[in-house]
Amino acid sequence: MQVNLRHKGSITILDIEGKIIGPDALALKSIIDQQIQAFSSETEQGENLNLILNMERVQMMDSTGLGILVAAYTTIRRTDGRVVLLNLGGNIRSLIVMAKLMTIFDCYNTEAEAIGHFL
Amino acid sequence: MGERTEQVITLSLPSSMQHVYLLTAVVTEILKETDFDEDTQERINLAAIEAGTNAIEHGDRENPDKPTIFQLILTENELIINTADEEVESRHKESETEQVITLALPSSMRHVYLLDVVVTEILNNLDFAEEIQEQINLAAIEAGTNAIKHGNKENPSKKAIMQFLLDEDKLTIVIEDEGEGFTRKEVADPLDPENLLKSSGRGLFLMEACMDAVTYEANGTIIKMVKYKKQLTVNS
Repeated sequence: MQVNLRHKGSITILDIEGKIIGPDALALKSIIDQQIQAFSSETEQGENLNLILNMERVQMMDSTGLGILVAAYTTIRRTDGRVVLLNLGGNIRSLIVMAKLMTIFDCYNTEAEAIGHFL
Repeated sequence: MGERTEQVITLSLPSSMQHVYLLTAVVTEILKETDFDEDTQERINLAAIEAGTNAIEHGDRENPDKPTIFQLILTENELIINTADEEVESRHKESETEQVITLALPSSMRHVYLLDVVVTEILNNLDFAEEIQEQINLAAIEAGTNAIKHGNKENPSKKAIMQFLLDEDKLTIVIEDEGEGFTRKEVADPLDPENLLKSSGRGLFLMEACMDAVTYEANGTIIKMVKYKKQLTVNS
């Protein structure tokens, strides 16, 4: 798995590539946690983490990976930030549907729409 | 991650040349964990193909009923590939026709990738639709993770054993660990509204959702999962 970090204005985008399974799922968790931490000190000054997880090139995700998305959602919400999912492939979408989490996550098919969520 | 000790990975294959690719896929994946340079990795891979071909062609004379067993021993500075004489149990075998592929892994989470490689290679050669292949792959990863993490508590001296039973009409995956086991009924339902936002506890649910049948034996230390190859129905 590879993760590329980029910023568009106040929005943080993680482009994830490969399989979110096993230790790589935990590696993704630490990358997300770093972003949460980086913003936690700024939250008091009105800055919140707006995170887009671009899943376009994710081939597979297991329950550990799914749990990490859920943890990211709950943690970021708690700090008044927001997280959205971008470009879910068929199998990742099915996984989220199966786990009844489709109503939890905001999902978009284009980056422009995902960015629009925060505006 | 704990101290690096000797890791023994066992792969048991039906003695048929069509399965040599599984050995090379496993060797390639193991080599990623080593410090060998690219050239050396290529040479080791070539040697593994030769060793595999030799064992299958000359050792067992391409008799698919007779397994060829490979032991891959990874130490800090060596990779040893043995044709093992130690028989891997295949007591889950049901009929004469099925082929059995066995993978025995030390219980370390990084070996989940080896399991993924083996499952992917096996599925590439079975006629399941792509969507079904993805479901089986996910179920196998969940079961492997369950055995390594929850069953064997990531103790590398304990083995997680995965058997793939290839039949004409179905694929059966049997996962065995050396843990204390568990009671399925006592595992919370991840779809229960109060559990929806929990960050774990979905593994067994996903295995059951992805496969046609999942059974728990020996107090949950043996999990058997079946996916049937559906017959195409033709409307007249």
